Amino acid sequence: RSCILVSIGGKNIMLDCGMHMGYNDDRRFPDFSYITQNGRLTDFLDCVIISHFHLDHCGALPFMSEMVGYDGPIYMTHPTKAICPILLEDFRKITVDKKGETNFFTSQMIKDCMKKVVPLNLHQTVQVDDELEIKAYYAGHVLGAAMVHIKVGSESVVYTGDYNMTPDRHLGAAWIDKCRPDILISESTYATTIRDSKRCRERDFLKKVHESIERGGKVLIPVFALGRAQELCILLETFWERMNLKAPIYFSTGLTEKANHYYKLFITWTNQKIRKTFVQRNMFEFKHIKAFDRSYADNPGPMVVFATPGMLHAGQSLQIFKKWAGNEKNMVIMPGYCVQGTIGHKILNGQRKLEMEGRSTLDVKLQVEYMSFSAHADAKGIMQLIRMAEPRNMLLVHGEAVKMEFLKGKIEQEFSIDCYMPANGETVTVTTNPSVPVDISLNLLKREMALGGPLPDPKKPRTMHGTLIMKENSLKLVSSEQALKELGLNEHQLRFTCRVQLQDPHSDTDTLHRIYTHLKSVLKGYTIQHLPDGTVMVESIVIKVSSSTEDPNTKVLLLSWSYQVKQELFWYCGEI
Amino acid sequence: MEETEFDDILDDWFIESLKTYKDLHVYQLEHPTQVIEWTSGKTVCVAGFTSSKNEILELRLPLKLFADENKGLCAERDFKVVHGGFTDAPVRCLRHIPGTRCVVTNDGLSSDLQVWDLGGDDSDVIRRTGSVDGSRGVSEGGSRIAARLSSQPQVLHGAESAGVRLTQLTSGQTVYTLETDSADPLSSLHFVSDAVFLAGCSNGKVYIADTRTSAAPQLSPPPPSSGESVLWWTDASAGPSCLDPSSCRIVRLSSCGQTVISDLRNPGGAVSRAQLDVQTRRCNADDVRVSWAPALDDCIAVSGFSGAVQIYSSSVWTTELQEAQPLFEHRGHAVSSQSDDGVPVFVTSHVWHPERPRTLLSAASDGSVHVWDWVDQSAAGC
Repeated sequence: RSCILVSIGGKNIMLDCGMHMGYNDDRRFPDFSYITQNGRLTDFLDCVIISHFHLDHCGALPFMSEMVGYDGPIYMTHPTKAICPILLEDFRKITVDKKGETNFFTSQMIKDCMKKVVPLNLHQTVQVDDELEIKAYYAGHVLGAAMVHIKVGSESVVYTGDYNMTPDRHLGAAWIDKCRPDILISESTYATTIRDSKRCRERDFLKKVHESIERGGKVLIPVFALGRAQELCILLETFWERMNLKAPIYFSTGLTEKANHYYKLFITWTNQKIRKTFVQRNMFEFKHIKAFDRSYADNPGPMVVFATPGMLHAGQSLQIFKKWAGNEKNMVIMPGYCVQGTIGHKILNGQRKLEMEGRSTLDVKLQVEYMSFSAHADAKGIMQLIRMAEPRNMLLVHGEAVKMEFLKGKIEQEFSIDCYMPANGETVTVTTNPSVPVDISLNLLKREMALGGPLPDPKKPRTMHGTLIMKENSLKLVSSEQALKELGLNEHQLRFTCRVQLQDPHSDTDTLHRIYTHLKSVLKGYTIQHLPDGTVMVESIVIKVSSSTEDPNTKVLLLSWSYQVKQELFWYCGEI
Repeated sequence: MEETEFDDILDDWFIESLKTYKDLHVYQLEHPTQVIEWTSGKTVCVAGFTSSKNEILELRLPLKLFADENKGLCAERDFKVVHGGFTDAPVRCLRHIPGTRCVVTNDGLSSDLQVWDLGGDDSDVIRRTGSVDGSRGVSEGGSRIAARLSSQPQVLHGAESAGVRLTQLTSGQTVYTLETDSADPLSSLHFVSDAVFLAGCSNGKVYIADTRTSAAPQLSPPPPSSGESVLWWTDASAGPSCLDPSSCRIVRLSSCGQTVISDLRNPGGAVSRAQLDVQTRRCNADDVRVSWAPALDDCIAVSGFSGAVQIYSSSVWTTELQEAQPLFEHRGHAVSSQSDDGVPVFVTSHVWHPERPRTLLSAASDGSVHVWDWVDQSAAGC
């Protein structure tokens, strides 16, 4: 299950809130005690962001918001907001109604949870509060999937969720600009795979369907109705046309309604190229694909039917399945993951005898095929994404450390960035070098430039003297005088003095004159003056000579200087 | 070519493939490989060959390929990178030492070999553990490498016929050196049994030697009509399990497409010949591969001349040189490659699956790797 907590610039953000589909007990929920031992989470989280509608990313959301307690904003894209509740409700029905579980969220909780959702548009910066801002990027993978950029001040994090870098027939490839986040967080699970091409998967699908049809069998394809069904319909239609096939293809009515709604959602979300493909193809006006009537299931001969729901847990697809399961010429193609407790899950695990309602058993004689069409990034894709975003550090989640050393080495070598691989429950601290932007007053800038020397070079810092004033939310660098003026303070000048004793029998004036002559000869390049008031000035250092009261041969040199005197000049003075 | 046009041709080929292939998997590596080497029944090694940094990867083949009865229930179609490592030089030749987790590579720049540990379950990093010195002297093409199962891990290697040596990996000691009158550049080295090996030279000569004796090797001269600039590649069938020399066949393929099959007892003679239908316009010595099918009779695979891998059945060949048509041609790499610079894609390597009769893996210059199980459309033959 995906659920990541990020603390950045004093803000706490929860990234995804998924359910672990392999557990039946509380281990399926994320462990929220990492946030707080008891009590609601609202005070501890600034926001929750959901990347897409898959249950391993949003399945625990109603549990978190309604049963543990969270009243803050939940961000997700528009399609995710539309689709999430449908999936969550289906999931709830299976878990509670079919499996009789009790510690689970209710339908009302799903509704209450969705009321807290703030929908996101792509590439639009959203201010969560005056310091935290987020932006969604297109992730491909499924409809509405987003990668999210989180920024607090000058520090930022990008969370990828699930994404893919190769476009397919109805989804484009993920894209992000060179946002240079401090950390890029990505799944590692797919980073060590090299994916078989989409066309090969489609080929397999067509081959299976064709083989069944050829031997007079019926093919049932249970679908979730959103996205994949559309794509598979187009695929079959093209194939039927090309091969001049006659067997009928149907889609169930439940599909049409949902699909029309989905289509509208989809069209605004997708890019130009894909929009064109869909607009040409007027949704469910296929030449070879017609609406299904339940009486057709008993028709003799080969046929293909797309029916909902996708996991064979209820409704039309289950009804058709019951009718067709007993014939080995028939086939059922499961195009995705099935939750535990559903018939889909059981047959994918090889079960050939199913217990149905009323204690009757169903013999599963038809061919069961499991095909995965989901689009995920792979080893190459992850490198492409890093190249796109240029993060300063990389964080890989959900992998096994021993199985990721190579990938870590590869990333570190190619991009010269650190790559972290925390285990579940582990905290990683990444030190960033936030840059603090400061305004500089024009006068100060001019003065610094007038000092001469090489032009400002970002690689060669130069020390300068100024005063940093923090007023409200702005930082300004001004000259000391201006600062004093703005603050209404008087300037104080510090002068340091020291007394040096000399043995010199001459008169005060003579001694002073000798000092003057000596300094003039050794301190070339400095301004040395012998003033009428009886002092010698070396730049701003003042030298006075007086005789000691006890002994006229002991002269006391009074040296006085202000704070800014150059070190070397001072040293020379010590030479006397 | 326009994108839609390209898509149409590709779609056509895929639709055709429904009948011509049982299984088909298409992958894209980040960098092309010139080597594909089995490291177990389910894993292969591939490696890059750019002049600077390269990766060596051990890939596990998709589970679906091996699922057999429950194939339908397995959705797993992807390669898994189980181990990976880095090298600073190109990898032109890579050989697995049977019975170990060790592979040996050569960079094509010298005759020295690099030794690597592929790693076990506790790490996914392939580490360099040492090197093996090649023979000194001029060597342009880099070393060929061969290995077979033995109690002490050993590697047979050399860039030229004079200087092929059998080296113990652990001690670095040379236990055998091939001595020939001339130093002919090699195009292949094969063990036909635990002790007998074949050194195939680029000029068409084949030396057959026994590592147990210091007797002079048997020399088979190049097939007739071999010109000056013609290059030859060799493969020997039925390696370590070949106890009966008569069942060991040698195939020699020239850069003009001329193919000669002889058997081990009489390497100079020709059992059969054929003129293969290969495009000879471009021919990089490094890329051509000819191989006997390990689990099919008389089947040979040829690649490197173009973007296709061709399967021939030699059972219909005679001693007369005649044109032969391939039994099957895998054009997947050529069809699915979209080359930006107009340079056509060519196949860089192929291997047969050791047990599954018609399954092959092939790699091409665009980084693609295909796993395919072809359908024998002919009535007779393989």
